Amino acid sequence: MADPIDNSNSEPRETAIPPARGSRSRSGGRVVALTGAACFLGRNLVGLLEEDPATARIVTIDVKSPDTAGPKAKHFEVDLTNPASEDRVAEILASEEVDTLVHLCFLSSPTHATGWAHELESVGTMHLLNAVRQVRLRKLVQWSQTMLYGAHPTNPNFLTERHALRADMDEPFFADKIAAERELNAFAAKSKGTVVTVLRTAPIVGPTVQNWVTRYLGMRVVPTLLGFDPLLQFVHEVDALAAFKLALDRDHPGTFNITSDGVLPLSMVLRLAGRSSMPLPHTVASSLVGAAWITQASAVPPSFLRYLRYVCVADGDKAARVMGFRPAYTTREALLDYLAAQSLRDANLLQESPA
Amino acid sequence: MGKKQKRKHKETKETRAGVAPKEPLATAAFVAADAGVAAPEEEISPAEGEIAAPRLFAEPPPASSEDDDEDDGEDDEDDGSAAEIAPALPYGTALDGDAPPSPRLVPGYDLDADEAHDVAPIGPTEAVIRPSMPPASVRDEADAAGAGATNPAEIEQQIRDLEARLDLMIGRGRERADEPAYVPKPPPVPAARKSDVPKAKPRSDVPAPRASVPESATASEVLSPEFYAKQWGRAGLRSRSEEVDEFGLDPAFEAKLLPVLDFMTKRYFRVEVEGADHIPTEGRCLVVANHAGGPLPYDGAMLRAAVRRDHPAHRELRWLAEDFVYYLPFVGTLMNRLGAVRACQENAERLLNKGALVAVFPEGAKGIGKLYRDRYKLQRFGRGGFIRLCLRTRTPLVPCAIVGAEEANPMLYRFEYMTKTLGIPYFPITPTFPALGPLGLMPAPTKWRIRFGEPLTWSNYGPEAADDEILVGRLSERVRASIQSMLDRMLSERRSVWLG
Repeated sequence: MADPIDNSNSEPRETAIPPARGSRSRSGGRVVALTGAACFLGRNLVGLLEEDPATARIVTIDVKSPDTAGPKAKHFEVDLTNPASEDRVAEILASEEVDTLVHLCFLSSPTHATGWAHELESVGTMHLLNAVRQVRLRKLVQWSQTMLYGAHPTNPNFLTERHALRADMDEPFFADKIAAERELNAFAAKSKGTVVTVLRTAPIVGPTVQNWVTRYLGMRVVPTLLGFDPLLQFVHEVDALAAFKLALDRDHPGTFNITSDGVLPLSMVLRLAGRSSMPLPHTVASSLVGAAWITQASAVPPSFLRYLRYVCVADGDKAARVMGFRPAYTTREALLDYLAAQSLRDANLLQESPA
Repeated sequence: MGKKQKRKHKETKETRAGVAPKEPLATAAFVAADAGVAAPEEEISPAEGEIAAPRLFAEPPPASSEDDDEDDGEDDEDDGSAAEIAPALPYGTALDGDAPPSPRLVPGYDLDADEAHDVAPIGPTEAVIRPSMPPASVRDEADAAGAGATNPAEIEQQIRDLEARLDLMIGRGRERADEPAYVPKPPPVPAARKSDVPKAKPRSDVPAPRASVPESATASEVLSPEFYAKQWGRAGLRSRSEEVDEFGLDPAFEAKLLPVLDFMTKRYFRVEVEGADHIPTEGRCLVVANHAGGPLPYDGAMLRAAVRRDHPAHRELRWLAEDFVYYLPFVGTLMNRLGAVRACQENAERLLNKGALVAVFPEGAKGIGKLYRDRYKLQRFGRGGFIRLCLRTRTPLVPCAIVGAEEANPMLYRFEYMTKTLGIPYFPITPTFPALGPLGLMPAPTKWRIRFGEPLTWSNYGPEAADDEILVGRLSERVRASIQSMLDRMLSERRSVWLG
């Protein structure tokens, strides 16, 4: 009955909040740096900030430049997997007088290059935070995912931010992200005067985003687990971006689940998508998907099967209460919006470059 | 590659047929599609079949050509269409000889032109399926034969006759206007069938159908199998609720199962409810009941059905189910859709804060695991979590005794060896269970009696009392004792397990 709730690790300590418009840069506006600026969230945030009058300059840090970069943006090519990146990022943050950092450098789909992913997410966050320790930063916003709570039969139907991150630690995709959150919590516990916000988004869907969820639902025949029909929750890409914008505009230290209203059973999701499902008995599904993953026929490793079996739905109440975040799309609407684009993709009518 | 393509085509077939909203029609269409015959054709009486110009159907509709072209790996299907069209050639010749004079549809709709509205202009692919079509010369001959009647009066008569029949057909088409959207491309007719049905079938649905093609659908969308899959999916959703409730209750699914639940409560268990008015008509309330022993506890669902039926306000009750249910395939999902919620403080608190009526079985898995000889002996009431819940959320508590449930699935023995690996607390042995297989899980038709006691409120304790272990333990014990005495009283009143 008692669920493991650890108050110690999950939430960054509420720090003394510096005055809201404390350190303005010379041109009268904040200077925002984004790591992983060429990923989906990064690209679109850069586009949003370009039009934002409160933002003076944008510093993008990634291995490639985001295509949405405009006149405000300045790109620095830094590979966070490189140990030398620590000094380089510190240098950039200092010289550009960055006051806000958005850390988005996380993979949205599992990869076979687990070693590299570890260097990027877990160790890369360490490098980044070490760099941040060397400068004075006013705000740090990091992306995380509600998937990290893990799907368990003992989960409550709505997981709050106080719930422990119990995702499968044998899966590098989760383990690295949890490690990155731990790094950040350690940083937040010590740093004075930096607002640290963690936004845990539910699986993002939408017309332009591409991640493992859209790939899973994009399959013609979608594997499911026989006899299991968990409740799923999505957040629309626009809502996810709005949450990041909100976290940038106002100071909300702490961890927040960014979700949309409502849940949908997997079976209904597939019916809305018009996909036929292939129910696998859960006893053999793991080895089948494992074989498919090794041969690169599957988009996800077998550890993701838990999410087709047990519920992993987050409670967005705190974000609504504290941040004032109200999602514009319900889970169903978000899904339908994604499916409208997916149907064009199915007919090869949508030209796009995956982000 | 080939397999994939085949699958795709199958999908198309299904979805095509599934577009029909009318239930019986849709099933007929399914059968027809499986037999390889287009559904609308089945609907048409032979009389109508005679009047249509044979060539309309002897040639493959262009749409199907598109489709076949689209999935161009489909060799077997191409063969099928060739077989379908093969008899068309003898037919052209038959026209010259002993063709019946009247049934000739001269002023018919130009199918090619008609279908062209739907079909995206694509160039070179047309030729691919055409080879089996009668050459133009043959068709011209047929037309010439049709125009062979020289007598003007005879022609007039023919035209009038045709017009009358056409009106009839169109009228019928209008009646069925709500039917399948886009004219389904007829799947290849099996050769055996074709031989005894040389007569062409009219497309009675030609005038009506375009109306139901969504305006927004572009040509290529219409061509894509996904389009039909989606239409089918949406059609299927009509019978279902918009969304499940946030804890997974699916009202539409429950409504579908309502006859079964009603049968179980009214006829099978003959549930009798006493004191339902002790449950407040609105606002949060926690019902605490004894748990039935046995492999599958039915008491939660029965309690829900009984309260809905007998409570003056017909309240919707949610019950909290043990964790292990969610490890099991089918059972967890089914119970969740019917209103069960996993038992934990967070869920219960959230439900109560929304003003719900929640039932909890504090005996938990220990209660389910009761052996037959321990029936109606209340087990330990967990750690008193339900008392904490009541104190924290200031919820009135209604004790409830259920008699009859604990004999429905008498458990004689339970195996606990190796069951942890299966995610279940024990493996039950009942007089019927492993012996009769899944059928053994069927409960015995005992007579059920549900009695609700006076509501207990602890308004003199604040929420902080939830942290007082001694108080929680004492209150928990008091609730347990009151339910036990209710049970004892009801058992002494009862004369028979089966008749109550």
